[in-house]
This record gives sequence, C-alpha cells and structure tokens, in this order.
Amino acid sequence: MIKVEGVTKVYGGFTAVDDVSFVCQPGRVTGFLGPNGAGKSTAMRMMVGLTPTTRGRITIGGHAYTDIPNPARHVGVLLDASAQHKGRSGREILNLAAITLGLPSSRVDEMLDLVSLSPKESKRRLKNYSLGMMQRLGIAHALLGDPEVLILDEPANGLDPAGIRWMRDLLKSYADRGGTVLLSSHLLNEVELIADEIILIGRGRIVAQGTKKELLSRDGQETAYVTAVDNAAFAAELARRGFPVEIAGDGLAVGTSPLEVGRAAAESQTVLTDLRSASTGLEDLFLELTADTQRESAVAVQPAPATVGTSNEGVA
Amino acid sequence: MSTTASAPLHIDTTPTAPIPFLRLVRVEWRKMIDTRGGRWLLAITAALVLLAFGLTLLVVGLDDAVVSAGVFAQVMAVPLSLLLPVLAILIVTSEWSQRTTMVTFAFEPHRLRVVLAKLVAVVCLALVTLVLALALGALGTVVGAEMIGGEPIWDLGWNDVAWLTGLQLVYLVMGFALALLFLNTPSTVAVYYVASLLLPYMVWGILFSLFDWAQTLLPFLDITYAVTPFQTGNDVMGQPVDTGFLEVLQLLSALTIWVFGPLVLGTLRVLRSEVK
Repeated sequence: MIKVEGVTKVYGGFTAVDDVSFVCQPGRVTGFLGPNGAGKSTAMRMMVGLTPTTRGRITIGGHAYTDIPNPARHVGVLLDASAQHKGRSGREILNLAAITLGLPSSRVDEMLDLVSLSPKESKRRLKNYSLGMMQRLGIAHALLGDPEVLILDEPANGLDPAGIRWMRDLLKSYADRGGTVLLSSHLLNEVELIADEIILIGRGRIVAQGTKKELLSRDGQETAYVTAVDNAAFAAELARRGFPVEIAGDGLAVGTSPLEVGRAAAESQTVLTDLRSASTGLEDLFLELTADTQRESAVAVQPAPATVGTSNEGVA
Repeated sequence: MSTTASAPLHIDTTPTAPIPFLRLVRVEWRKMIDTRGGRWLLAITAALVLLAFGLTLLVVGLDDAVVSAGVFAQVMAVPLSLLLPVLAILIVTSEWSQRTTMVTFAFEPHRLRVVLAKLVAVVCLALVTLVLALALGALGTVVGAEMIGGEPIWDLGWNDVAWLTGLQLVYLVMGFALALLFLNTPSTVAVYYVASLLLPYMVWGILFSLFDWAQTLLPFLDITYAVTPFQTGNDVMGQPVDTGFLEVLQLLSALTIWVFGPLVLGTLRVLRSEVK
C-alpha cells in the first residue's frame, strides 16, 4: 500500500506538487493521470526518496522507502525506461540488478521470458532498442525483485495497442495476486484501459479521484449515445419522459444513463441500433486540465460541485 | 476511495537483509568494465604497458646496459597513470550522463554506501593494475639482465613501492573526487588532465625555475611538486631536500586541494542533490 499524506514540493517559487494526499490499495491498479508537467514524475520520485519532499509524508507498506532494507525486493520502480546505460545489453542491465538485489541469474531469464524479449534481443545494446522494447525491459527490471508494490512512470509510453493490452493483463494479474500498482500516464485511454482507480492531477494538485465509474458519474450527469431506427420518434418519447435529448451525429445524446434509455426503448418497443455510455465527463475534465496548463493566463477550470471523491480547485 | 483491502496494508521487511557492502563493490567493479568504453580503456592501457615493456627491453639491448628494477617499475607505472583515471571518473559521471542514478539510488537509497563502494572499486583497480605492472617490471628486469648477460639490479625497496602505490592511488582518487564535484564527464576529464599533467610539466616547471615565489608556492598547490621530495629526496629540479615539517605541510595542502577537498565537497553534493 502506498500512502501519500499532504505532500508538497516547492522549487524556488514554483510549487510542482501541492498538498497531495492519496492511497493506493493492494489488489488494485491505480492510475495517476495528468497532463505533462502536472507533477506526476516529481511525486513518484519523492515516493522512492530520489527527490526530497518539502512537506508531507509518504509511506509504502507502512515504511518510508529509504528505511526499507534492499528496497527493490519490496518496491519495483520504473521511473524512466531510457535511464539505463546505452552501451549495456538488456541482459547485462538485468544482470547488474540481479547481483545488486542478491538474486540468481536464472531470475533474469525468467523476467526476459515474462516480457517477451528474446535471447537475441536481450544481447542487443540498449541504444539499439525500440521504445517498446525499452519499456518491456523496464518492466522486467521493476519486477525482478518480486516486489509487493509497483511504481511505474509512463510504462505504456511507446507501446503499440497490443503492447498496452499485454501490460494491462500483466498488471491486472499482478494486482489480483495482492500487489499494489501505481502507474502514471498523460493519456486518458491508457489509464482507462489499465487502471481500476484513477487519480487526476493537474498543476500539482489532485483534481479528482475515484473509480472510473465514480468519476464518470460526477455531477450526477450521465450521458448516453443512442441510435434508433426512428430517431425522431424515439427523441419525442425520451423528451416525454423528461430526459434532455440532443441530436448527435447519426443518433441522439441523452442526459441520462444507458439503463434508463434502454428501459425507455423496451417500454416504447423501439428498435435500437446502438446504445452506449458517453464517457464525456472524464474526458472533458481531463481536457480542461490540459487546456489550463497549456494557457497559463486562461480562465481557470470552474470548480464543479463536489461529489463522490472529487475536490476541485480553481487556481493551483 | 471506496475499496476493500484484499492484502495486508503493512509490508513486513524484517526478513530482508540490507545489501551487503561487498556486493555493492562487486556491482560497481562490474559497471566499470562491462561497457565497450571501459573495456577499450583497459585494453589500450594494457597495450601501452606492453609497449613500455618492449621499448625498455629494446633500450637495454641497444644500450647494452642493465635497467634496474626500480627504473623498470617507474616505467611500467607511467602508462597506468595515463588512462585509468578516466575509468575512475566515468564510474561516477556516467551514472549522471546516462541517468542511471535513478536506478542505482533507488536500489540503495543510502547514497554514501554507493559512493564508498565506487571508491573501493577504484582503489581495487589501482592496486590490481599496479601489481600486474610491477610483476611485469620484475620480469623485465630479469629478462633484460639475461639479454646482455649481466646481473639484475634489485634496487626497488619497500619505500619505493609504497610511494609508487600511494601516487597511483592519489591520482585515481583525485579523478574520482573531481568527478563527484562536477558530475560531468567532459569537464572532469579536462580539469583532471590540466591539473595532473599539463600544468606540472608545461607551466609550473618554467615558473619554478625562474621565480623564487614559485618555488615557495608551487609545492603547496601541486601534488607532483609536493610528493617529489618524499619520493626521491630531491625537489623537481634535482636539488636535495630534507623532508621535514614544511614538506609534510606542503603535501597535505596539495592533497587537500586536489583530493580530500573535492572528495568531501563532491560527496556532499551527491548526497544532497535531487536525482532525476
């Protein structure tokens, strides 16, 4: 379990991480989502003692990271897959790690196998690795010591869709065995695919946190996209039931849950060709954050009414 | 967050032993020689040692004069002092240029242990290479005497070996210490070679022979000038010197400027710096 309590990091006059608190539970994959420069990497470096905190406290499994003996046997860390010596082979990088941690060299072969790096690829020097291969090596490096906790900074960066699926399956099964996973990303769909729990961070502050479902139903506003054979008639039926309806592309956007729309369709005997949840809530929130950090002088994000697990801040 | 814990929230770390110091040394030693750059530096150094060995024997053959063990040892040590300091520098600076500090200090958050392990690895490098060079020098002394049918001259005392070893260590640790201070390969290599080779032989020599103040000042500033009286009983110009309190002070001053000072300040820098 990772516990972050009121952690702040100030560089000169710039606050990179501002009073951040959250908990990563065992058995779950927690996604740390935010635009570039939001403070994700700084927060992760503080977790493993590479960057001193200005204020606050971080414990992993009840210990400060620097107090854990041979910490990589308990906490697997991947902060930057390219931060390895470019002249060493992937295998040599793992060999050095295995010696440091006191592991047999057979563990290196196991890990190479796990991340699907072939013996031939493992003998190549890192400078000849693709970004995807580097990320796989980084995952192998983090998992080498069979840790209870994983801290991964942008692990899916550079992976193709098949690679992202592979990583999702790997991390999910790791979490199912009781492991704690914290991974960061600046891409919403990566986090949506992999994480059970999402922490949204922008300008060093946590903007929202919760499960994907909780975040989607923030403000209590759910939207469903629906397409019926006769859209006009179904729109009238939905409006009669009091749901806000708009025309959206070939179909309709309805201000309620897909369940309600489905019920309306069944009761009015309407034939539907498409019905799905529109995850605009999360995406809008994320885009607002991104826009906010891109235009420093722009009007800040309007605080949303606090609902499940949200704490919105206008100006960071 | 609405989650239920399916595993204990506390991690029991008591069965885990800290990383033994000697294992850290072993890893740092391996890092020094497991890259193409490291292997090239060692290969070139070996080639230079063998070249010096061959040239000395050639001189013996041409000159028909026995080269004593003391001289042979001095000759063998010269190639060692040329390139090995770069290894001592790279063991520090490559971690910063390749950004592997993020891994090294995540594995061992007690950074002082890592710095000390690197220092021990550097000292081992200095000792191992010197022993090999001295063995080769002894072989050369015998072979040289055999070549011209003379008796080998064993004039290499423990005192000479101690000073030779001490100087080797001083220069390697000086490179290491400057590397800790600058954390950057090009500037460390430049400062090291200017301070250890260029200035003493190209600049200080002229000043020393021309000016009285240089004769007073330089032994306090330069390691070569401070060490020579102890090593040979003469100053760099060959004038006899009695080594007393002043000479000890000079030696301490020069070592503080180039070795102890940078070592302490550089270590503090590494312990305090943010790693990213």
